[in-house]
Amino acid sequence: MIRPIPFAAAALLLAGALPVSAHRIEKSFKVETQPVVTIRNASGKINIHPWQKSEVRVVADHTSEKVETYAEQMGNRVDVVTHLLSEKVTPPELRADYDITVPAETELQIRTDAGTVVVKGITGDMTFDTVAADVTLEEVAGFLVFKTVGGSLDCTRCAGRIEANSISGNIRLTQPASATVRAQTYSGSLFFDGDFKRGGIYILKSVEGPIEVRFSDDDSFALNASSVQGLVENQATLRQPSHRRASRAGVSNRLLGNVNEGLARVELFSFSGTIRILRRQ
Amino acid sequence: MQCREFQLNLSAWMEGEAASGAPAHLAACAACRALVADLEAIRTSAGDLAAVESDPPRHLWASLRAQLESEGLIREPAHAGGLAGFFTFFPRPALAGAYLSLVLACAVFVGMQTRPRVEVAAVHPHGLPAVIATVEPQHSEVEQRTLRAMHEHNPAVADTFVRSLFQVDNFIRLCEKTVREQPGNDLAREYLYAAYQQKADLLAVIAERGAMGD
Repeated sequence: MIRPIPFAAAALLLAGALPVSAHRIEKSFKVETQPVVTIRNASGKINIHPWQKSEVRVVADHTSEKVETYAEQMGNRVDVVTHLLSEKVTPPELRADYDITVPAETELQIRTDAGTVVVKGITGDMTFDTVAADVTLEEVAGFLVFKTVGGSLDCTRCAGRIEANSISGNIRLTQPASATVRAQTYSGSLFFDGDFKRGGIYILKSVEGPIEVRFSDDDSFALNASSVQGLVENQATLRQPSHRRASRAGVSNRLLGNVNEGLARVELFSFSGTIRILRRQ
Repeated sequence: MQCREFQLNLSAWMEGEAASGAPAHLAACAACRALVADLEAIRTSAGDLAAVESDPPRHLWASLRAQLESEGLIREPAHAGGLAGFFTFFPRPALAGAYLSLVLACAVFVGMQTRPRVEVAAVHPHGLPAVIATVEPQHSEVEQRTLRAMHEHNPAVADTFVRSLFQVDNFIRLCEKTVREQPGNDLAREYLYAAYQQKADLLAVIAERGAMGD
C-alpha cells in the first residue's frame, strides 16, 4: 500500500533518488536502527560490510552507458537497483559493482543474477536470490535464506537459522553457530564442519553431489543418513536409538543411530551421491 | 464408466461433447469433478495470462498431486519430515504454483484452441501423469523462447538455467525409471515428487527472470 509522504520528505527522497549520469556514484542515507537494504542487480560484485554509523552508504560503479544505478530511501529501507537502459546489452555492459556500508544490524534482501556477493559482520535476516552468483558470508547472524540455481554458498562462522538451496552450486558451512540448518543441492557438494547444537536440526540433501559432515567426539546427535544409490561412509560410533536398530560404523547406504545421547538431529539424504560422516581432525 | 475412461474423454468433455456415461460418472465421482473444475478455472483465467501473478487455486496443486498418486508415481509420505518439501525453494512457492498454473493454462487453452482433441488426460505409455505429459511440449516452447531472449544479453545466466533444467529433467527420468523398476521404493518416489516440484520452481524462476525488465 502506498502511503502519502510529506512534501519536504518527498522532495528529499526524490533528490536522493535521481539517477546520476556519472559511472560512479556515492550516496548516503540516514537510517534508524535495524534498517532494511534491498539490492537488485543483474551482474557484478556486491560487497557489504558494517560500520558504527546509523547510515547506509552506497558506492556504485559501472562502465556502461546502457545501465544506470539507482538508490533511494523509503522510510527505514534503502533500495538499490540496477536498471537496464537498453534492450541490447552485452554481458560486460550489464555489469554494475556495489560497495555498501551498513549499520551492523541490518536486514538484507539481495537479488542478483551473476557475479559475487560478499557480506561480512552483519547481524539481521538475510535473503539471497541468485541465478549464477556465488555468495560468501562471514560472521553474519540472523535467519539466512540462500536460494540459487547455479551459484555457490560459502558460509564461515554464520549464526542463526540457515536455509540454502542450489541446483548445481556447492554449499559450504564452516563453523556455523546454528541450531537449524537446511541445505540442499542437486549436483553440487554439501560440506558441514561445525558443532551440532543440542536440540538442533541439521538436514542436508543432495541428488548426486557428495555430502560431507564433520563431527567431534563431544557432539551429541541422532543420525539418519541414507543414499538411494550412493554409499554412506561413517566414522562415528553409533549407539542404538531407543526405537530402532543402530547401524555399525563403516560403509553402507543407510545409517541410523546416536552419537552420545543423540540430542541434535542430523539427517543426510542423497540419491546417488556419497555421504561421508567424518571425525574432525 | 470408470475414471480412466472418463479422463480419456476429458478433452471432448471440455469441448462440450459428452461421451456416453460421462455425465453419470461425473455426477458420482468427486475426483473427476474436481479435475473438471480445475480445468474450467484454468480455461476461464487463460484469457488473461499476462495478469497471472496470483496464487493459483489451492486445489490445483492438490489435484495434480492426487493424479500423480493415482498414477502410482508418488505416494503420501509415510512419516512427517523425511524428504517432505525436498528440493523446493520454499514450500510450494506462490510463483512456482502460478507458473505451473500458467503452464497448465497454456497447455490446455492453446491445445483446446488449436487442436480438435487434446489428450489432456491420456496416460503416458510409461506412466507419466497425463497432465504433466500434456504440459511438457508447451512449457518447452515457453522456456526455450525465454532462454533464447535471455541468452542475448546474459549467456552465462541462460546457460546456468539450461544446465539446471537438463539436470532436473535427467533426474526426473532417472527417478521414473527407478520407480518403475522398484515400485516399492518409497524414497525414490519422494525424490520423484520433489523433482517435479523442483522443475516447477525452476521454470518459475526462468519466467520471472525472463520477465524482468530492469
